[in-house]
Amino acid sequence: MKNLSSTKTKQKNNLDPAKRSQNRKIWYKLDLSAIVYPTLQRRDFSSVYRLSVVLKEAIKPDVLQRAVDIALTRFPTYKTAIRKGLFWRYLEPNTRPGPFVQKDIRNFCMPMPFKAGNRYLLRIYYHECRISLEAHHCLGDGTGGMYVLQTITAVYLRLLGHQISDGGFVKNINEAPSPGELEDAYMRYANAKVCPSRPGEKTYRVRGTKAPFYTFNVIDGVMSVKEVMKVAAKYEATITEYLNAVLLYALLQKQQAEWHLKLRPVKIAMPVNLRRFFPSDTLRNFITMVYPGIDPRLGDYTFEEIITQVHHYMRYYINEKFLRGDITTNANTQRNPFIRIVPLFVKDFVVRMFYTKVQDKNSSAGLTNMGAMKVPDDMKPYIDRFDIYMGQPFSSRTNCAIVSFEDTLTINFASSIIESDVERLFFKKLIADGIHVKIESNRAY
Amino acid sequence: MSYCVNCGVELESSLKSCPLCHTPVINPNELQKAQVPSPYPKERGQVDVVKRKDFGILTSIVLIATSLSCLLLNLFVFPGSLWSLFIIGACLVLFVLVFPMVIYTKLPIYISFLFDGVAVGIYLYLITFNTADNRWFTALALPIVTLITILVEIFALLLRSFSVSFLTTSLYFFAEAAVLCVGIELLIDHYSGAPLHLVWSAIVLTVCSVIIVLLITLLSIRRFRDAVRRRLHF
Repeated sequence: MKNLSSTKTKQKNNLDPAKRSQNRKIWYKLDLSAIVYPTLQRRDFSSVYRLSVVLKEAIKPDVLQRAVDIALTRFPTYKTAIRKGLFWRYLEPNTRPGPFVQKDIRNFCMPMPFKAGNRYLLRIYYHECRISLEAHHCLGDGTGGMYVLQTITAVYLRLLGHQISDGGFVKNINEAPSPGELEDAYMRYANAKVCPSRPGEKTYRVRGTKAPFYTFNVIDGVMSVKEVMKVAAKYEATITEYLNAVLLYALLQKQQAEWHLKLRPVKIAMPVNLRRFFPSDTLRNFITMVYPGIDPRLGDYTFEEIITQVHHYMRYYINEKFLRGDITTNANTQRNPFIRIVPLFVKDFVVRMFYTKVQDKNSSAGLTNMGAMKVPDDMKPYIDRFDIYMGQPFSSRTNCAIVSFEDTLTINFASSIIESDVERLFFKKLIADGIHVKIESNRAY
Repeated sequence: MSYCVNCGVELESSLKSCPLCHTPVINPNELQKAQVPSPYPKERGQVDVVKRKDFGILTSIVLIATSLSCLLLNLFVFPGSLWSLFIIGACLVLFVLVFPMVIYTKLPIYISFLFDGVAVGIYLYLITFNTADNRWFTALALPIVTLITILVEIFALLLRSFSVSFLTTSLYFFAEAAVLCVGIELLIDHYSGAPLHLVWSAIVLTVCSVIIVLLITLLSIRRFRDAVRRRLHF
């Protein structure tokens, strides 16, 4: 008895410093690109993206809730609430009950007020065989979110009695999160000696009738990876380059058909996953934007010319050196001592102004390709497909998100406007190239 | 399995028309087929309401503390006149104004406007304790507050029951401004014992009438209406 108590006190003494550091209030700085998203928050807009996985059996909500509770402990930066400081916003661990799984809704990626929903910045939905994760972009990018979603899915399947191993996007839930997963990786690599200037050119804007608050129009195209790859290879391009070119082609056609005083360049904002170039385990944002585009004022481009242009643009810009310069430009703004001491509300005002006047006008549409999903081999049989949505566009345009799993490639268009011309022209081109496309949509008109 | 005859895409079986080009789907072989449920959920989500409870509690406490301390100071330290009633009344008005915004957000707008009117009435009544007589309150202040409250209620009702545009909103605004000015002048005449006669409000009434006629003309002719909306949109 005596022995036991003495070991206990020993343990207590040993634990003390560690415990003390644990008791210290943990908080996370927003990463470099996460700073922008909360400033754009409006009553009718939040930067929320959605990732969903379609399983082969109907979802059991109670098991899913347990899986969420277990899996989220592994992702401390996702179980957080956002708070305002005097100069910057920050993330704080959220101990409120939740997040609770909910029945899915028709108008997804709804605005996410920071103070509602127990202050959680992520929502988990289920509908028939589908589990969906919606996260505010200030928590992390699509790759980070995919880790969370796949880990939840793996835990869910394990709770149902299946054997699922870790690997790919599934994290070991018994392991503590490594510091590298929580870091702001931008700062580690923002060390170029020169800051290239940001591109700033007014581009073609898709005009459309705003759908009533809050509508989220979705058109999904499902096709075979092999077919798309075959067609892309015919043009000597990758799938991303090919689909980028098709979207540019659609936008160019739309601009040409519309009434216009003068033509404007058509550009696509495409996020690049920086983890491919800079080794990092971070689960937070680590992306940067590139803007492949075509200037129709130079003359009429054929589709082959567009694809060549996109192909060379990507090869020229998407490499470690150019991307490092890009990160440095962004980081230097944040590091500037004059900018740092300005109160948050002034920063909000300036950032919002810059975004609406410059950044948002810089591109005609958004396109992201998450590529082929890496899933542990023993989880593959339970998964049908993945869907990703870039979320509600800030202005009237469409966002296009691409993801593939096994031989299923899904292209998901999301917009808040009634017209679906861009989508029609896009899929028409795919059909013309001989790709079989299956369309699903939640549109009521 | 159906294909869109126009776009050539395969359509998911629950779709009744092509989402890309709106061409209806008619499959002659499957006319009698039962309706397939859509893969998307039917329910629409609602954005969560932010509860500003903390702010509400804080405001209430600040206002109550201000009123109480002024009352105590008035009673025991500076007992010359009932000056604290001004502050207590102002706190009451502020509380009633803030109440529907932060504490109980589900209150119908008409009732909250009514409460606002009542609060202002009470404030003015509190002022009568510091003035020599209170005829100004019964003959002038109370009727004007009642008139303004009624006009605001009507304004809210009009905005909520008919489609809102800046043309219609300005129509209601000018009509109500004219009524308010006429009402105020008549009440002042009544208070001062002068014969009921329109002088300055007649000018307002004339100007407003011209604007109202103009707005009604603009609203009733579609071509005008569209032109104004096109040129003045902001």
